Amino acid sequence: MNTDKIEQLFGYVQERCLWQFFSRSWDRAENIDGIIKTATDLLTGKELQLEAPMARLFYADAKIMVADFRQRFPWIEDLGPAQTRELMHGLKDKLVEFTITKSLNHELNHTLY
Amino acid sequence: MPMVLLKCDKDIPEREKHIYLKVDGEDSRDFLPVSNAQTLPGTLSERGCAFCGAKLVIGGVLKDTIQMIHGPVGCAYDTWHTKRYPTDNGHFNMKYVWSTDMKESHIVFGGEKRLEKSINEAFDEMPDVKRMFVYTTCPTALIGDDVKAVAKKVMSERPDVDIFTCECPGFAGVSQSKGHHVLNIGWINEKVGTVEPVITSKYTMNFIGDFNIQGDTQLLNEYWEKLGIQVIAHFTGNGTYDDLRSMHRAQLNVVNCARSSGYIANELKKQYGIPRLDIDSWGFNYMAEAIRKICAFFGIEEKGEALIADEYAKWKPQLDWYKERVKGAKMAIWTGGPRLWHWTKSVEDDLGVQVVAMSSKFGHQEDFEKVIARGSQGTYYIDDGNELEFFEIIELVKPDIIFTGPRVGELVKKLHIPYVNGHGYHNGPYMGFEGFVNLARDMYNAMYNPLLKLAATDIRGPANLQFLEAAE
Repeated sequence: MNTDKIEQLFGYVQERCLWQFFSRSWDRAENIDGIIKTATDLLTGKELQLEAPMARLFYADAKIMVADFRQRFPWIEDLGPAQTRELMHGLKDKLVEFTITKSLNHELNHTLY
Repeated sequence: MPMVLLKCDKDIPEREKHIYLKVDGEDSRDFLPVSNAQTLPGTLSERGCAFCGAKLVIGGVLKDTIQMIHGPVGCAYDTWHTKRYPTDNGHFNMKYVWSTDMKESHIVFGGEKRLEKSINEAFDEMPDVKRMFVYTTCPTALIGDDVKAVAKKVMSERPDVDIFTCECPGFAGVSQSKGHHVLNIGWINEKVGTVEPVITSKYTMNFIGDFNIQGDTQLLNEYWEKLGIQVIAHFTGNGTYDDLRSMHRAQLNVVNCARSSGYIANELKKQYGIPRLDIDSWGFNYMAEAIRKICAFFGIEEKGEALIADEYAKWKPQLDWYKERVKGAKMAIWTGGPRLWHWTKSVEDDLGVQVVAMSSKFGHQEDFEKVIARGSQGTYYIDDGNELEFFEIIELVKPDIIFTGPRVGELVKKLHIPYVNGHGYHNGPYMGFEGFVNLARDMYNAMYNPLLKLAATDIRGPANLQFLEAAE
């Protein structure tokens, strides 16, 4: 996957999205997993199950992000489902690296809030 | 290179770890300022104490609750009236202040009896008020007064009252941030779930981390009412004690100030399974995004779009008028922590203003991750800054306007730099669409105020030399 495209999406998420910076590593991982998966489903036209509260939360964040992706990065509409999944997987890996595994935030792994 | 040792810090080189300059080619995996750490000897911190974080920021906002401060009278006065959070019941919280007024003999012989007497006196004097927060302070914590036992005794004798104790003396943490933490965790563990709310809407949420500064909560509440969303609890702007006991029944927690109140949102998610949605409430672009997200959660997107369209039609022309006049300005933000990351992009996107320096009194590394991700290159990011550092940063970045608190604001005014109160606001509210127009107006008024130039002109002529020499 074109790293430049991942960089563009990553730049947007870093600048706009507070969910990547929750207090603890497990909260960040949960948000990144849930929102990137939901956004991928939206981009690939997959049907969403929105009964559970957390599913609706991920949808709320993903919906706005995907709308902005489509507006700011029109090339995203030209990708096929497999390419979209690969792109979003690359975005997820980069977010995990920056906000969890290589984050210098010393409070990320406290067991209590 | 990205960590900066200022000239004024040459004798306290540890400060280098607290000051970051964002540059090309490096990121938060390489550098992140040390924060929420003990203030270094040799630097004059502008922080507040842990007790202040609990009382002044969160508890003291409530509109129906006596705030009993168990300590010397100064602890009460200094955490009263220094923030402007009105209420819709006549500003009860701003009219009154309560203290056990501890003196030396009470410290020597113990203050529990005095506390019990003060609690009873307060309830007797205000028979319509049935709720109270009791705070320990440094001396009463040190002598080991058992405030929980006193509160329990009073509640057993007065079954119609309820008391929450917050044991967070000033020395409990490195800054006011510890007070936020202690109050959040104490409240969720002791009080949430003890009252059942009346549900009036299909859509319910808690609005967390907004303290009704000059009416922020009340302005945003108009939006929620238009959308048909019931706010079960405002934590704590214009809020009530019993509303906060009902937080467990909301479907969604919407968080504005994640620093002061993220803890309770995390615990509500962990203990009650209520999702946490973080938003920005300052700025047109952000506010619209927040409304869209909340409406997407509830499945009422059309209502949200109609509200946004109405508000844009009403307020965007006014914002644009101010934007024409303030765009291109360089701004510094020296506040508590979250407003750095809430504001840096909103003033850039909505007003064309560039933020060139930001300082946080009590932010944690999480806050610096957010603000560095959102902020510009060439901007300074400072943890726990002091006055000499501010002087030097001003020389380095030459801001056209500074948003900070009234105390630092006095320094700024003496330098004849336009200043806006970034804590309590000049003429708020600042949240929401109307609020951001207010912010823009205060920015414009500060920048175009002719008094700054007049004040900078010394009309004394040669006579001022003697004053200058005396000052030196």
